Amino acid sequence: MSHARPIARCLTLAMVSFAVVLGAHRPASAIPAFARKYQTSCQTCHVVFPKLNPFGEAFRLNGYRMPAETEEEIKETPVSLGSEAYKKTWPSMVYPSTIPGHVPLAINIKMADVYASQTDGTNRTITRNDFQFPQEVNLFAAGTFGDTFGYLAELTFENGAGVSIERAQLTANSLFGAGHAVNFKVGMFAPDLEDGFHEMWLMTNNGIDSLFTYNPIGPNGGTGTAEEGGGISLPENVKAIEFYGVAKHRLFYTLGVTDGLGQVSTDPGSNPQSTGNDVHSAKDWYARVDYKFGGMGLDGDTTGKTLPPENWRESSVRVGLLGYYGTGNDVVFHEFDDLGNPTFDVIDRRYVRAGLYASWLWRDLNVFGVYLHGKDDLTTTDLTTAAVTQPNPTYDAWFVQADYVIRPPFQVSLRYEDVAPGDPSAASIRVGNANFTYLIVANMKLMLEYQRDLHESKNYNAAAVLRFAF
Amino acid sequence: MRIPIVTGLALVLTLPAVAGEIHGTVACKGVRDSAGAVVYVDAIPGKTFPAPQEHQKINQQNLVFDPHVLPVLAGTTVDFLNSDAVQHNVFSPDACAEKFNLGTWPKGQTRSYTFKKDCVATLLCKVHPEMEAFVVAVPTPYFAVTKADGSYKIADVPDGAYTLKVWHPKLKAATKPVTVAGSTDVGFEIAR
Repeated sequence: MSHARPIARCLTLAMVSFAVVLGAHRPASAIPAFARKYQTSCQTCHVVFPKLNPFGEAFRLNGYRMPAETEEEIKETPVSLGSEAYKKTWPSMVYPSTIPGHVPLAINIKMADVYASQTDGTNRTITRNDFQFPQEVNLFAAGTFGDTFGYLAELTFENGAGVSIERAQLTANSLFGAGHAVNFKVGMFAPDLEDGFHEMWLMTNNGIDSLFTYNPIGPNGGTGTAEEGGGISLPENVKAIEFYGVAKHRLFYTLGVTDGLGQVSTDPGSNPQSTGNDVHSAKDWYARVDYKFGGMGLDGDTTGKTLPPENWRESSVRVGLLGYYGTGNDVVFHEFDDLGNPTFDVIDRRYVRAGLYASWLWRDLNVFGVYLHGKDDLTTTDLTTAAVTQPNPTYDAWFVQADYVIRPPFQVSLRYEDVAPGDPSAASIRVGNANFTYLIVANMKLMLEYQRDLHESKNYNAAAVLRFAF
Repeated sequence: MRIPIVTGLALVLTLPAVAGEIHGTVACKGVRDSAGAVVYVDAIPGKTFPAPQEHQKINQQNLVFDPHVLPVLAGTTVDFLNSDAVQHNVFSPDACAEKFNLGTWPKGQTRSYTFKKDCVATLLCKVHPEMEAFVVAVPTPYFAVTKADGSYKIADVPDGAYTLKVWHPKLKAATKPVTVAGSTDVGFEIAR
């Protein structure tokens, strides 16, 4: 029933290369709609977009509002949909709101020249040089409605993947009066389960995304990563409802429920393992708690702190625990052999993910990483013998990344990723990434990136990426 | 020469206490500018002021109340004129203004309401929810509204000791004791 080791290895490498060439997708969170609203520079919130500085993180957690926001800070006068005093008349009259003075749209464009080298099972090396012009275009709409509500939507055109709704969320902030202690979010979004480090990633082209695309489906458990739609890992973008907030300026928490089965697609077109029938109604749950020591508060509080004028600098440590739980009793994944014949049916009855997160910021250096442990309770049916087994594979995935600001326009970044798959016969995945970023102007950057499979030196890719936002 | 001296002496003796003025600046923090704050002398013990006969006016033009903030002496009647081609309404959700609702009326017509007691009355229009204004009915005729730079001037205030108050539609009110002796400078800083 087990896969032969070379096959698993080959499959793993192919998956890695596939993810690399396409560029693992992440929300492109550089949103000039807010730069327009506040008439402020990208550098107010970003070290290099999309990586957030401490203030930018506070701005995000505050529902895309300034900490202790004042009317003076909003330079683009909003349109009133009811005077402030109408609050007194509720429910006799409609509660007042506002909309932005201008259509709050923004665009991100990413272009890349990707040179990729990979070996196949016969040790043959295949190279490709792709002009991905554009690789990705993101259309954002973002802003606030009155004092409480905010919205964010992202429509993405991705090279080779067409147009999709990446995010569409509505937030309600400071629900019970205390500043940002209880916030609510509904829609499709990257859960705050991982958004805290998601938003920190400087590298946006390379990366196997071991945390988000691990696929546990297989006779003995997962062999590694898969492109979008393959795995049940941490959800990157999901339909969810979430409560989150910041208590005592430094304690962050989130609790959410998602549409279930992470990001598994039931469309056979994008996920050949799918039944094509979305009969799954169970929901997944997630939670996270963080604490930040030193530096600016997670809500932007600076009471008693003297922070350096260079807004990307501070001395702080943020640590967190995260967990994800779900059940998939009613979804059957079909496994096929190389000829396309069905071999196994796999059900992931219960899946649990638990992780540790840490970020250390010291002057110009930011070192951060995540360790994730996963356990899957599978039911596997051999379609040849009708034998049913119930393996309980576990896997471990982690990464550590160091970003360094040489000078504000010039930054370097190194990342190491490691995945020990659930199938014991499958090789581990170890990948190194290096990045040099030149912020040409505040809203345009050039990145040179290199990624290598640390098992096989012939598996690598290099990319030059140009990205701009307006 | 005796006649002018006697006349001058008589004039001095018949004038009331010397009228001073209170002026200064109200710095409004957290809002776009410092306009629209009402600075007024609070009730003076033992002194009352008759309701003025003259009406004040608030115009509804281009879907905006003008002025946005109108201080009046309690007892003053305010006329609301509709100068727009569309219908307007005026009502107040505030109990101190009896939650009045003047109905809806067309261009060129006026409806009135008398603000009988001290009150910060919010004025709204049901037809156009974004419209908002305030009538601030105060107990003395000594009041002023700040300009955008926060400056104000209350003229003809008799010398004496008073309580000076400032009110703003969005910011916390503030109070200061003040002794007026001629031209007196009093500044405030108010915030949310």
